[in-house]
Amino acid sequence: MSAPLYELRGATRYFRMGNSTIKAVDGIDATIEKEELIALEGPSGSGKTTLLQLLGALDRPTSGEVMFEGRDLASLSDGELAELRLRSFGFIFQQFNLLSTLTAVQNVEAGLAPLGVSAGELREKSLAMLAEVGLRDRAFHLPGQMSGGEQQRVAIARALLAEPHVVLADEPTGNLDTKSGADVIAQLTDLAARHGTTIIVATHDAGLAARAPRRLTMKDGRLVKDSKVAAAAEKR
Amino acid sequence: MFYLSYLRSELLRRKGRTVLTLLGLALGVALVIVITSLSHGLDQAQKTALNPLSSIGTDLTVTVQPDNVGGAFANRTVSTDLSTLGKAGQHFSYDTFSSGSQVTFAQSQAKSVASISGVAKIATGLTLTVTHQEGKVPKISTQITTGGQQINVQGQTKQPSAADMAKMASCLAKQEKNSSTTSTTTTPGGSQPSQSGSLTNSDQGGPGQFGGSDAMRKCMPASMRKFQKTITTQRKTINKQVKTPKTNIKTTTYTIGGVDTRKTDMGLITSAQVTKGRFLSKTNAREALVAISYASNHKLKVGSTLSIKKTKFRVVGLVQAPLGGQSADVYVPLAQLQTLSSQKNMINVVLVRASKSSGVGAVQKKIKSALPSAQVASNKSEADQISGSLVTASDLAKSLGLALSIIVIAMAIMLAALLTLSSVAKRVREIGTLRALGWTRRLVIRQIAAESLVQGVIGGVVGVVIGIAGAALINSFNLSLSASSTVGSTTNAMRPGAVNAAQTVAQTATSQVALHAPLVGSIILIGFALAVLGGLLAGATGALRAAQLRPADALRQVE
Repeated sequence: MSAPLYELRGATRYFRMGNSTIKAVDGIDATIEKEELIALEGPSGSGKTTLLQLLGALDRPTSGEVMFEGRDLASLSDGELAELRLRSFGFIFQQFNLLSTLTAVQNVEAGLAPLGVSAGELREKSLAMLAEVGLRDRAFHLPGQMSGGEQQRVAIARALLAEPHVVLADEPTGNLDTKSGADVIAQLTDLAARHGTTIIVATHDAGLAARAPRRLTMKDGRLVKDSKVAAAAEKR
Repeated sequence: MFYLSYLRSELLRRKGRTVLTLLGLALGVALVIVITSLSHGLDQAQKTALNPLSSIGTDLTVTVQPDNVGGAFANRTVSTDLSTLGKAGQHFSYDTFSSGSQVTFAQSQAKSVASISGVAKIATGLTLTVTHQEGKVPKISTQITTGGQQINVQGQTKQPSAADMAKMASCLAKQEKNSSTTSTTTTPGGSQPSQSGSLTNSDQGGPGQFGGSDAMRKCMPASMRKFQKTITTQRKTINKQVKTPKTNIKTTTYTIGGVDTRKTDMGLITSAQVTKGRFLSKTNAREALVAISYASNHKLKVGSTLSIKKTKFRVVGLVQAPLGGQSADVYVPLAQLQTLSSQKNMINVVLVRASKSSGVGAVQKKIKSALPSAQVASNKSEADQISGSLVTASDLAKSLGLALSIIVIAMAIMLAALLTLSSVAKRVREIGTLRALGWTRRLVIRQIAAESLVQGVIGGVVGVVIGIAGAALINSFNLSLSASSTVGSTTNAMRPGAVNAAQTVAQTATSQVALHAPLVGSIILIGFALAVLGGLLAGATGALRAAQLRPADALRQVE
């Protein structure tokens, strides 16, 4: 039996702010399997973003373990982590985080460039990916010339180009109106299903959370509710 | 290539920032180039001007200062006696030599200097001041108008004697008779009143009336007819100031050096100072070298003819005369000058080269003790006499040059670093995003360093262009710095009856040293390298710092 996608054991991340310590993630134990759509719920400041960053190897836990596919992220070198971020993780940010000086297609390319594929292949793949999110005709526009929804779809294309195992989305609809938010979510879930990608999405969006088979609820850095665990308990 | 197009986009789409960084870099590079070039130019100017003796192969100069009495020749006055110049209207040209503050002495005395141990070589020289006067001999004349005076003379004639009276009476009677006969015959109708009237008058008047008629005049005795008297008019002295005649007498003074032509590497001037033409030939020919500044002032060039005391010299070369006491405007062979100035076998300076540069001080002391009346000057003491803007500038360059260069270079690097750092600092979030996308630290640093490198290269090129233009601009201004040294003093006394010629109190030798900002390849390269290196270093450190952050922290940065 293969290792689960993620296994968290007492994962903790504290921030020191002057004299006080903020316990952004405070001892989380959880197991996440492949091909799940997981909604991470909780009020602002409950530690959702920090947890996503721990899962995406953008940050290291203060203590505890974050195991990804059986490997402790803490034990990996910077190079290995970069490799994981490149091949296994895809990120989607609330602020889109597109590179403002690059066109849509260049932004998508940036997500795969370090793999070292030829320029032609890179361009071809990127355009194809843009076509998948319905933005083929916007390929040569700069982020500043696109709407929020369009920018986020470019970000989705960028995140998915390397065919990652998991997409970590942090409030992807937080900066979008309801309509474009729904479009983005539809696109994201659709693509994830097609590419066999696990999506972990931190969200306030009740509609989106409702669609997720598994919902994790956080409060003050702790996991207060896990729909999967709750269901298992009910069964018993 | 993705990275290259990323780089291009980054530079082109952030034009404001790119241009600012480029300009900053370019300014720094240009400043480095201009300032270094300038200080280099100053250095060169200084070397040519401020090494008065070593440039002429000399360590020491031996001169004799006039004591209170002064040598016979030393302080000869220069005056022009107009009466000796020649005929009025003639052109005259007149040269007088004076020795200024250096007393002349016999050439043979130089041998005693040569025999002092530690003296490797000596050369002799004669440095004189020439007072040259030329112009037209003025016509000195004045117009005095006399005459037109009225003189009244009264005198008594001699009384006629009785015999004279008798003679006169008979004569008159005879005349009367003659005239009445004539009158009768010529006036038959009595129609000529004037004629007859005259006769009537004469009848009435009788012999008592003088000078009235012809008859009277005819019959006057000879002694009465001639009136003679010696008159002495009053003695008068005409005192009229003669207006000073208009003349065009021009007086110029210049210094002339008699050069020991047998030595080309040592002497008042050496072949090293020749900038155009050639050095004086060894044959004591009538050849002259002219200092550049003097040549340009007097429109002389190689091949021109220079007349000194009516002797023609051919200008064979232009020289950059060294400053200091032994500098001159014109150089001619020593023997020629001795002849011209009637100073046969006389010199007023001995140039000494020590056998060891470390022994200069000792040699100086020895000469002083051997010749107590002599003045022994070293290179340094000569250089100390030099003043002027060049010295000020070079002092400034000396004290500030290095510091200034360092400051400018540091500023250029700092500017480049700051601009690059600030542009990197604004991109921390971008760097975080790249890291999240799977870019390694190395890749991120490489990307940003490459941007800085390209900026550095472009900025460097622009800076080099601006720098070269700046240096060219400075050169086009034709700035010149002056360095002067006081050579001596000639005071000319006024002599009554002579037009005072020149009153040169202090003869100052001034050398205009053109200030160039010579562009040196290495300077340009260094400036360029600094821009590139500065930008690269700053970019790399900035990127390193940003890449060192955990991606999560980088992403948290608010743009």
